[in-house]
This record gives sequence, structure tokens and C-alpha cells, in this order.
Amino acid sequence: MKNRVKHCGLEHRQPFLSAAGSVRLRAEIDAIIDRQIERWYDTVPYAAHLEGKSVNSEYYQRHLIETAWRIRLLRVSESKALAEIAKRSPEAAQIWANYEREEMLHDELFIQDLERAGVTREQFLATEPYLSTKLLTGFFSYLLDHEGPLGVVAYSYLVEYVNVKLEPRKIEALKGSVGETNIAGQISHSHTDINDDHPGEVWQAIRFLLRSDEDVQNLKRYLDEHQTILAMYFKELYEDKVLPLEKKAA
Amino acid sequence: MKTSLVKVSISPQNIEVELPVNSDLTELEFELHNQEAIPFGCRSGACGACLIEVVSGGVDALTPKGDAESAFLSVLGYEGESYRLACQCRVLDTVTISPISQRG
Repeated sequence: MKNRVKHCGLEHRQPFLSAAGSVRLRAEIDAIIDRQIERWYDTVPYAAHLEGKSVNSEYYQRHLIETAWRIRLLRVSESKALAEIAKRSPEAAQIWANYEREEMLHDELFIQDLERAGVTREQFLATEPYLSTKLLTGFFSYLLDHEGPLGVVAYSYLVEYVNVKLEPRKIEALKGSVGETNIAGQISHSHTDINDDHPGEVWQAIRFLLRSDEDVQNLKRYLDEHQTILAMYFKELYEDKVLPLEKKAA
Repeated sequence: MKTSLVKVSISPQNIEVELPVNSDLTELEFELHNQEAIPFGCRSGACGACLIEVVSGGVDALTPKGDAESAFLSVLGYEGESYRLACQCRVLDTVTISPISQRG
């Protein structure tokens, strides 16, 4: 009688990519994200605002609010992702669980910085997230239901890679514009990403999820799609907090 | 892109494998599919299944031992600097390791 058990993650014990192949693909993906970053600065309004000498405080506060909401909302779908990942690769699931353990409560770090910026916890909780933040959360649910967990993990790689690459520059600028003691939460968040090698952790999970060249192509498409949705968020933030001021001044 | 590789030898089985620098030693399980090399268990430094001794290449050939790993090795009775939990190591240079469980 045939064993009917499936989706237990043991069917593909041998990874699709060898250790060396994984290193090569990661370098290729990093180069793709580097080009995405260049395009980002060229096309997204106010993309470098928080890296400047002065900061629009309403823009800054709302950015912290949305970041905290994004972490709060995505941790639900990222938890559902763990089950989907475990069905495909127990090794990737272990890595993902550890990564989520470290990241899961980081919304608190941003809420602490919000309080330092004069926004109370009650005000934060009373602020409904932007549509773009909700859409990103919805996209994760869609991916898990209809395409699998790779797209969700790809988002984390994009964010972690970009954070480690760009966050130190932003943090240095914010020390000057907002004050070092006022961004203690963001500094702690950045420490975790860098010191714990979060890009490396997430890449290992991706490596175990990839099973074919088609998956590799899908990974590249996911990175592009996530950047598109994140750009929607920054456009929404700009149109809410900066554009009215520019129109008024004109 | 050229990948820098380092040689990892496993004794007494006389197995050799090349891994990219900074690879987790857990890669051995996949590179040496179906060969008896190192028996990995929890992969989080908690079970001790992958206890190894660094035979040659020196302790600097692997990433440094963390506090939690040192404490657990002490519990296991392997306090010397040459003893490691393979799942907690990344390889930095040519090294020869010996799994304690394979010594009979």
C-alpha cells in the first residue's frame, strides 16, 4: 500500500544549489538589488529624505508609525509562512523561525522612538496604516495562498540586504537631525540586522527553498514586485506629508 | 564571479570536500550526501550530536566559539579549545576535523 504522506519537507533532501552555487547566485541577486537601489533613488520621491541634514518631523513620525505597523501586520503572515516553509524544507523552517524570533517584536523599538518623537502609544494605535502598508500585507497572504512562501522570504532578503547596506548611513544622518538618544530603537534594530547577519540568515532560507531554475527566476520577479509595492508606500507618504506643503509654498 | 574555496577534511573517514569560505559546516551534510560524515541533529547547538575535534588547521580555521557553545561543551565534558559543535561553526580556512561519534 502506498504511503500517502506528503508535504513534510523530506522529498528534496539535497538542495538544488550547491554551497558554491548558492554563493554565486547570492552575488548575482545582490547586484540586482544594487541596481534596484540606484533606480529607487532616481525615481521614488523623497527617497533620501531621512539621510539629509534636516528632517520633516511629520514625515519622520509617520514613517515610524508605518514601519511599526508593517512589522505588526507582517508578523502574522510571516508566522503563517513558517508552516508553508516547513512543508517544503525543515532546514529553511528552522532558519526562518530563528529569524522571526529575533525580529518579531521589533515594532516596539520603533514605538519607543515614536514616543521620543512625541507620538504616544495611544496615538500610534489610533492611526490606521496606509493603504500601501495594507496592500503589502495582503500581497503576503496572496503569495502564501497561491504561490508559496518563496515570495515572503524574498521580501525579507530585500529588506535585510538594503538595511545592512543603507541603514548605517541613515542612522548617522538621523543622529544629527533627530538626535542620537531619540533614535535608540532604530539603532538597536540596525544592530540586530548587522551583528546577527540577517541577510545571511534569510539567504540560507531562500537557498533551501529554491528547487529549480524557474524558482530562481521567480525570486528575481518577487524582488522587483516588492520594490514596486514599497515604492507605492513612499509615494503615499510623500503625497500625505510633503506634497501639500510644496503646493502651499508654490 | 570566482568563489574562494577551502578544503575541509574529515578523519578517520578520509573524506575531503571543498566549501566556499564562510560556509556553515552543516553544508557537509548536503555536499556529502549519503556518506557517513558528521551526524547533525538540532543544528542549533543544543543537542551535541555534531561534536567534533579540530585535528589540524588550528582553531582559527573556524569561526570563534560563542559563550553558549562553550557552556554546552563544558556540560558535555569537552572543554578544550579544539572541541566544537560543528553546527555552530563556519569554515574560514583549510581544516581537518574528527567527529567524536565516529571514533567508536
